[in-house]
Amino acid sequence: MDEEILQDFLVEASDLVDQLNDQLADLEKSPTDSDLLNAVFRGFHTIKGGAGFLAITPLIEVCHRAENVFDKIRNGDVEYDAVAVDVILRAFDVISDAMEQLNNGARELPENDPQLLIDLDALTGKKVEEPASEAPSSTESVLQLPEGVDPDGDMSDEEFEALLNQRDGGSSALSGSAALSLPEGVDPDGDMTDEEFEALLNQRDSSGATQGASAALSLPEGVDPDGDMTDEEFEALLNQRDTSKPTATPVASPPPKPPAPKPTPKATPKPSTDGKAKPVTKNTTESTVRVDTKRLDDIMNLVGELVLVRNRLLTLKGKNTDPEDLANAVANLDHVTTDLQASVLKTRMQPVKKVFGRFPRVVRDLARKLGKKIELELEGEETDLDKNLVEALADPLVHLVRNSVDHGVEMPDVRAAGGKPETGTVVLAAKQEGDHILLSITDDGKGMDPDVLRQKAVEKGMMDEQAASQLDDKSAFELILSAGFSTAEQVSDISGRGVGMDVVKNMITKLNGSIDIHSVLGEGTKINIRVPLTLAILPTLMVGFNEDSYAIPLTSVQEIFDFNPDKTNKIDGQVMVRLREESIPLYFLNEWLAADRPKESYRGDKVVIVAVGNQRAGLVVNQVNGQEEVVIKPLGVMLKNATGYAGATITGNGSIALILDLPGVVERFQ
Amino acid sequence: MDVTNEMPTFGNNAQMDNNNESAYLGPCTRCVLFTLENEVYGIQVKKIREVLRVGNIRNVAGAAYGVLGVINVRGVIVTVVDSRSMHNMPSREIDDLSRIIIVELDEERTVGLLVDFVMEVKDIPEDKIEPLSATKESASRYIQGIAHFQDNVIILIDVDNMFAGIE
Repeated sequence: MDEEILQDFLVEASDLVDQLNDQLADLEKSPTDSDLLNAVFRGFHTIKGGAGFLAITPLIEVCHRAENVFDKIRNGDVEYDAVAVDVILRAFDVISDAMEQLNNGARELPENDPQLLIDLDALTGKKVEEPASEAPSSTESVLQLPEGVDPDGDMSDEEFEALLNQRDGGSSALSGSAALSLPEGVDPDGDMTDEEFEALLNQRDSSGATQGASAALSLPEGVDPDGDMTDEEFEALLNQRDTSKPTATPVASPPPKPPAPKPTPKATPKPSTDGKAKPVTKNTTESTVRVDTKRLDDIMNLVGELVLVRNRLLTLKGKNTDPEDLANAVANLDHVTTDLQASVLKTRMQPVKKVFGRFPRVVRDLARKLGKKIELELEGEETDLDKNLVEALADPLVHLVRNSVDHGVEMPDVRAAGGKPETGTVVLAAKQEGDHILLSITDDGKGMDPDVLRQKAVEKGMMDEQAASQLDDKSAFELILSAGFSTAEQVSDISGRGVGMDVVKNMITKLNGSIDIHSVLGEGTKINIRVPLTLAILPTLMVGFNEDSYAIPLTSVQEIFDFNPDKTNKIDGQVMVRLREESIPLYFLNEWLAADRPKESYRGDKVVIVAVGNQRAGLVVNQVNGQEEVVIKPLGVMLKNATGYAGATITGNGSIALILDLPGVVERFQ
Repeated sequence: MDVTNEMPTFGNNAQMDNNNESAYLGPCTRCVLFTLENEVYGIQVKKIREVLRVGNIRNVAGAAYGVLGVINVRGVIVTVVDSRSMHNMPSREIDDLSRIIIVELDEERTVGLLVDFVMEVKDIPEDKIEPLSATKESASRYIQGIAHFQDNVIILIDVDNMFAGIE
């Protein structure tokens, strides 16, 4: 299999699979929409075409049948009813599984579940027991009557035999071998002469050599196949064999043509001959990104500008330059780089649709399984988001949506009894809010009872009754984000598996995002997630120790004040600072970052109060240098495991600042 | 490929470079030679991206032993390791002759090795390289072999082994 073509195919087909996913979900709502039906038909057809080119047989089989089904549906012969939906979705799952396997480096796909193929065939109303009708449907090859044969007249044995041969050829092309055809005029029932047998063998060999493509050999006109073969004739046959190429029409075959089986366009090479142990390259699904050529042109244009500015600066260098010229050039440079930065960032942006696209299916499957009626609404699908974020958000969102479906929305009868419409609604929305993206998952289900949550927290020993009763409702809802806190009476296989809410919380925090929960008992729950537009650029507070600078993610910083030793207490060995009736632990970063230069007094230092998870901490730093947006760069080798750092960045003066990872910092001091 | 040539070709396949001080024409390994504590070491040129003067090394508190800190190589943060610590030698003040050799571990990862002094780039004939007798387990992990060449004893370092298993 040609690796390069395969990669192209995967990129294209993965897009098609995504589209099909959306379209199939839409189709369920409007099963007669002919545009949609056509689109789905084309989707399967295009995937089949690509798969055929690469001879991925299991994929072809499924796509072809699905395509047939949709052909019938769009012609109005078959209805897209619940049965059809299930079978088609099963087929779709097989296809998307196959794509995933290919993406993961597999080059051989397992055989299809025969039941699926039978079910698909059944949809088109085809009798599955009748093998003759199956062969053409699976290979797309058409059986042709030999020219000049009256289709209505009686069929002679020879003709029937020829047809059978064709059929065998057609179906066996599936498994990789080519069809053999008898030279014209040979009586298949008569005794076979050695030459004929030889010729057949030759045919078989040659078609094997051309990797399963069916090439038919034919005897030159006027040769009596039963007669003795002259050397020349034999030679000619040999030549034919050598020259016939996979799709070439038989050389020197005069009309009337022998009933050569139509070379199947989707000739499938034997897996064994071509699936040789290639070094399996494992591609992570998203190693490539599609960029609008216009965006690339913009970037190219800006780079051109950049080169011009450089040239200008080079000519200005060293001479008695007019300061104004220099200032102009620098201003120009400033412009170009800002634009370039924005353009490059845009190439990383992807519509959030990429994540949302999977949800109609998730919700549908889940709702059916639970016997609930749920409609999913998607809003703001076109919102652009950093590529890494799109990928990182997928898992937490799936979890939250599953939660809404499983725990949020009630069963239809309960809803009806409560005076709500039987069909529940889950809204998944995205929108840009300044330099943040707001994602929200809203359901109109039963909501959460803050009192139940408080009680649960006491039962789990997370806090005493008094502390629990002091929690306001919002804090009570946030309890569900703590580890080991599950209110579900029994863990279902839907919400019990995979990530818990605390993991969701951690993942969002890792993305420098925040999560908050609103809920009204009986009316529903809304979960808001805020994440920065991009992961690459981080607003930070720069703090310093002598000449070394460190960056603290600004989203965590709450307030800054002067360090005052009179306002601290030492409680159980831990220095705490009093801040508005609250004691917050203080961590003297100097002890860690400049352990070789212990300080006598911290007078004049600053305290930066930061939020770490659900707690707060005060970091005592030398000086605060203000706010700076930094580009996060990974720390080099051997430093990946150093706790307390989230990365490094290069500051305006070219020196390196280390970005602090606050949970890691706190861990270091505990 | 032309297969009609029936002349035996072995011994002839080394490229003719301007290294005319030796008549040896066999396969060579091109190495950057540097010193540590008066011993000459070599690393294959194909593993090296560049050699830098020592600028500002930003220390990283809490880093592993031997890690001096990080430097900024045209926008990429690169870890600098004291190669003396790798060979269990005491560390030494950085001076004008000290250099950082930027080694490519793979396409994405590079690491800087601080060395005392970088000498030159040399082609070492492969038949002069002897594998180290496997007696000293720990040290020989880094050492690919010893070359006796032009009155020098060159210790060839296998950087892949040296940083194997390091994240």
